[in-house]
Amino acid sequence: MPPFKLHSPNSLEEAIEISREISESGLEFDWIAGGTDLIPNYKWHINVKSHVISLASVSELKELSTTHIGAMVRINELASDKHTHPVLAKAAESIASVMIRRSGTVGGNICLDTRCYWINQSESWRESIDWCHKCDCGTGADCRVIPNQNTLCVATYQADLAPVLMCLNSQIHIASPSGKRSMPISDFFKLDGMTRNVLKPGELITHITLPSDSKEWQGDYQKLRQRESWDFPEAGVAVLWKSNTEKEPIQLRVATTGLESIPMLHEDESKSAMENWEGDSSVDELAESIKKAVKPVKNTWFSPSYRRKMVKVLTKRACRGLLVS
Amino acid sequence: MVGYKQQPGKLPFSKPGSGGKNSFSKPIEENMIPSSQGGKLQQPWGSHRHDSLVSGQVIGKDTALVDGNWKVTGQAHYGDDVRIKGELIGRIVRSPHHYARVISIDCSRALKLPGVVAVATGVDAKNKFGVLPVTKDEHAMAVDKVRHAGDLVACVAAEDEATAREAERLIEVEYEILDSIHDMRDGLKDSVEPIHDRGKYHIGESNVQKRVFQEFGDVSGMLSSSVASYKEDWVFAGVNHAFTEPHAVVAHWDPTGRLTLYTPQQVPHYVHRALADVLEIPMHQINVHRTFVGGGFGGKSDPFPHEMCAAILARKSGRPVRITFDREEVYWVNRGRHPSRIEMNLHADGEGRICGIETDALIDGGAFASFGHVTTYYNGVLHTAPYEIGSFHYTGARVWTNKPASGAMRGHGAVNSRCAVEVGLDHLAEQLSVDPISLRLANLLPPHSSTITGFRVTSIGMRECLERVRQESGWTKKFRKLPLGKGIGVGCGFFISGSGLPIHWDPNKFPHATVHLKIDMDGGVTVHTGAAEIGQGSDTVVAQSVAEVLGLPLDMIRIKSRESDTSPVDLGSYSSRVTFMNANAAISAAMDIRNNLIDATAEITNSNKQGLIVGDRRIFQKSDPSVGVSYLEALHKAQEDRGALISSGAYRTPPMGKTHKGAAAGLAPAYSFSAYAAEVTVDVETGQINVEKVWAAHDCGKALNPLAVKGQIIGSCHMGMGQVLSEEMRYSRNGSLLNPDLLDYKIPSVHEMPEVTPIIVESNDPEGPFGAKEAGEGPLLPILPAVCNAVYDAIGVRPSELPLTPEKVFNLIEKRCKSEGILEPLHLSPPSLNYSDLQTTLENRASEHSSRDYSRRLDEERSEYYNGALFGLDPSIPPDQTDPSWAVRVTPDPSYLDDPRLAGSAWKHTERRKRGEVE
Repeated sequence: MPPFKLHSPNSLEEAIEISREISESGLEFDWIAGGTDLIPNYKWHINVKSHVISLASVSELKELSTTHIGAMVRINELASDKHTHPVLAKAAESIASVMIRRSGTVGGNICLDTRCYWINQSESWRESIDWCHKCDCGTGADCRVIPNQNTLCVATYQADLAPVLMCLNSQIHIASPSGKRSMPISDFFKLDGMTRNVLKPGELITHITLPSDSKEWQGDYQKLRQRESWDFPEAGVAVLWKSNTEKEPIQLRVATTGLESIPMLHEDESKSAMENWEGDSSVDELAESIKKAVKPVKNTWFSPSYRRKMVKVLTKRACRGLLVS
Repeated sequence: MVGYKQQPGKLPFSKPGSGGKNSFSKPIEENMIPSSQGGKLQQPWGSHRHDSLVSGQVIGKDTALVDGNWKVTGQAHYGDDVRIKGELIGRIVRSPHHYARVISIDCSRALKLPGVVAVATGVDAKNKFGVLPVTKDEHAMAVDKVRHAGDLVACVAAEDEATAREAERLIEVEYEILDSIHDMRDGLKDSVEPIHDRGKYHIGESNVQKRVFQEFGDVSGMLSSSVASYKEDWVFAGVNHAFTEPHAVVAHWDPTGRLTLYTPQQVPHYVHRALADVLEIPMHQINVHRTFVGGGFGGKSDPFPHEMCAAILARKSGRPVRITFDREEVYWVNRGRHPSRIEMNLHADGEGRICGIETDALIDGGAFASFGHVTTYYNGVLHTAPYEIGSFHYTGARVWTNKPASGAMRGHGAVNSRCAVEVGLDHLAEQLSVDPISLRLANLLPPHSSTITGFRVTSIGMRECLERVRQESGWTKKFRKLPLGKGIGVGCGFFISGSGLPIHWDPNKFPHATVHLKIDMDGGVTVHTGAAEIGQGSDTVVAQSVAEVLGLPLDMIRIKSRESDTSPVDLGSYSSRVTFMNANAAISAAMDIRNNLIDATAEITNSNKQGLIVGDRRIFQKSDPSVGVSYLEALHKAQEDRGALISSGAYRTPPMGKTHKGAAAGLAPAYSFSAYAAEVTVDVETGQINVEKVWAAHDCGKALNPLAVKGQIIGSCHMGMGQVLSEEMRYSRNGSLLNPDLLDYKIPSVHEMPEVTPIIVESNDPEGPFGAKEAGEGPLLPILPAVCNAVYDAIGVRPSELPLTPEKVFNLIEKRCKSEGILEPLHLSPPSLNYSDLQTTLENRASEHSSRDYSRRLDEERSEYYNGALFGLDPSIPPDQTDPSWAVRVTPDPSYLDDPRLAGSAWKHTERRKRGEVE
């Protein structure tokens, strides 16, 4: 483990103050929440910073209610809380293993670093392939997945909560020394495996809010992986909808994860499916369109072609509640 | 309490007969005493030469492992738990290149770093070593070349880990990169720069390390009578043992100038020899101290370069040096199962006999030989039983590639080809429209027979294994009758119980295993054995054997198996030899002491020693139990003139086998047999397999400790399931190992684990200790084909590539859909079965053979039975003596080379010495 200085503020204000001091002295730092993502990466010397600010004692970030989820709420807490939206709880329950869920947090899961065979390796391993674009150690190394382009990192975003939160149209709230801001969670992610999201240096997620009608949304989250425990999603599909009294969907949202560098909300595909909803055949069409919309690359356990095909199966399964037959 | 009076002051011992927790002896448990001795223990397989030694103490009872308390209380010291004052931390500098020549190494900057005490490179240890004397091809650190990414280049010892890691970066190595090879098929070709140079034994200019050709029987003649055939090109990914404890070693040169090496080793004796070679010091100056071993499975049975490094650094620095691997480094030393390409051909004739097996196995050895010489043979010869076969053709080759070395792993060399054979049999049964269990039952070798390759097989519980799983799994109600996506499959296994040939010496000159006993006044028995306890329970089984023969409770036995200074030389824990060989040696050592005790008792009680028997801490007349003495009293009498009793027992295998080249590979004093049925659910839309239930029958001869046998069966299921479902060392297109960690190297978790029903079959091996055979490796074999065959039953696709990830299964399903013009996998139909007439023929033959086998297992006057009798040959004469076409051929005809199979093409090369280029 490379050496770093750990700061343990007791309030959000103090945390932000420490971050300001570090930034002003020209140094870099990482926030640490549950540490289940950051610590392994640090052990592998991936983009290590000299300062780490722990949010473990910041009580403001731990609030959990039907519409408010603090960034420091443990995933296990979210999964087992009876007020949690059932689809969100299902996604939370499917993350890693129970020990990791007890440590990992909602904010940490949303900010999960992207993953790739060529980056999640020890330092000497990465040196043996002359590094890669994401952590090039000053060499300007090319991407190892899609060579001959060194502008984009295609590492895969493999977290489970984001697609469900996207389908629930939740807002994400951010704080930093320069103030607070919020946005729909679908605007939070930004396509690149390195930056991943809109957080600027010094910013942190404080909480997520769900719209008041979220309870009226139902649906499912489906996940593809080799083993039922531990494994990151090779593909994840959340489908949520609001139905009328005839049990037909009047609003529908689909989001995917584990397929690209950020989770994707598929608004166009949902919209065209909803334009002329015809039950089972619409589910098929929707599933096919989602399959076509995703562009996985070869950097995780399953091949891109298999993952795409499975997106169709997962979408259909997530839509089971919509099937007439 | 007969025959003993306390004499205060003279004998400072507690109550007579004591020594254990209970101060009074217990009555003999009649149901533990074999019926041959007048007890109530049924012996359906007949009596055994050790029956008279059974005292009813521990043999056959569920017994907690004797070292278990150390582990569960956290007091067991594994490799990295050894702390010696003044230790330094060693780190290894590894190659970033797959294949390169080391031009220069500059350690000067590292040596200047404060806290760095010593640095070593290849020049510090030029001598080669390797686990097999015939293929020593490893150095402590690179001499001239590095052969795979992660190969050792240099090492450094520093005051702490951070400094050692920093120093690692400061060692500058200049390389000249060479063209590396990663596809095992390329290893067959000539190369500009072969990975090793075997001198005059080098095969062509290729990277072929070992090649094997074996042919028994009239292959082409037999094939002409075949009516059903199976041909498949299998691809098996390499798998790693993935034991819990990464390698760790501590080297300490003590003030007397001797080296003690603390290491979690399965085979301490080979390390002992290799250290002597590499360090150039005599063996007596080295003490190899085996720590607790956190799992081995074959992965800790080579002498390792890092062990040499620790010793070299410790010698240079004058301080103890500890090296502990992280998980990635475990994958760099690897020694896991060989990635393999196996072409399997099976043929059945009109009577449902297996008239031919033709196997071609190309195995990827990685950068070093390790056990590979043996593995190359095992891939062929270990599937010549349990079935009687009409002819056998095997071509095998092991090639070097620029990958971490493959080696021995649980089920050594037998697992992959066994999987292919058993899946092939399922296919033959399908073609013949018969039940696959019936097909197997009608083709089994009888007990006490000889295989086509000349292996002497003694006890065989194969038939019982198959019958038990058929019954307990509800096979007949399920097979080919379950709905789409649900399936049941069967697979069998056959494995050696100890290797017939000690690698390092002539078996006639030195025994395979030796056990020493020492009993002093206190009555406790100190057992010295070199058998390496690696978690499998070897300490326990040796303790049990001694306790049983001497009639003592287990807590009176203390095992000293750690140090080469005090342990007799032993080959170590591999090839499933420990129970068979060490327990036999322990029994013979204990018999010696037992005789002393009986003599003493006869003298004290003034009775006939022929009538004396040993019970729980008491020796008495069988006819009149009141005449006898306590164990301690007999012991003290026996000690009168000589003090502590000391005895030595040894085991060596009987002479056996044929004499052709390679005949010794696969020879064992006994063989284990197993049959599993697995029930699976396949998600037909995703290809995800869930193994729901496994019925696992294993013939271990006699379960000395049923609890441990069940543990081995369940553990084997888990390990084999890993290989069949998800475990794989995955390499990128440029040869980098992508998953040297336990997140991406996917071992099944508890969620994937099925409900396993272990079924123990006890065939009472005549030469095994109390009838026992191995139970550590054989149980792994059947799970792979059982799962593959169950997948076929569920969805009608026949796998030929492992691991069967959902992706591979899905691709097979998609292919089947396409060929049948079906759009939705859910509309596929599962395979069905309508028996052909052959089914009755097979059932009748199985029933005849069943009675034949029953009499052969009991009949002391049993006749010879050579493989081939099923095909009309005289069972009492080796077939090659009646029919010259059955004579073994160990080199191919020139005509074979016109169109060789993949591995067979290795024979196109000529050895250098035969090309006249060297003398």
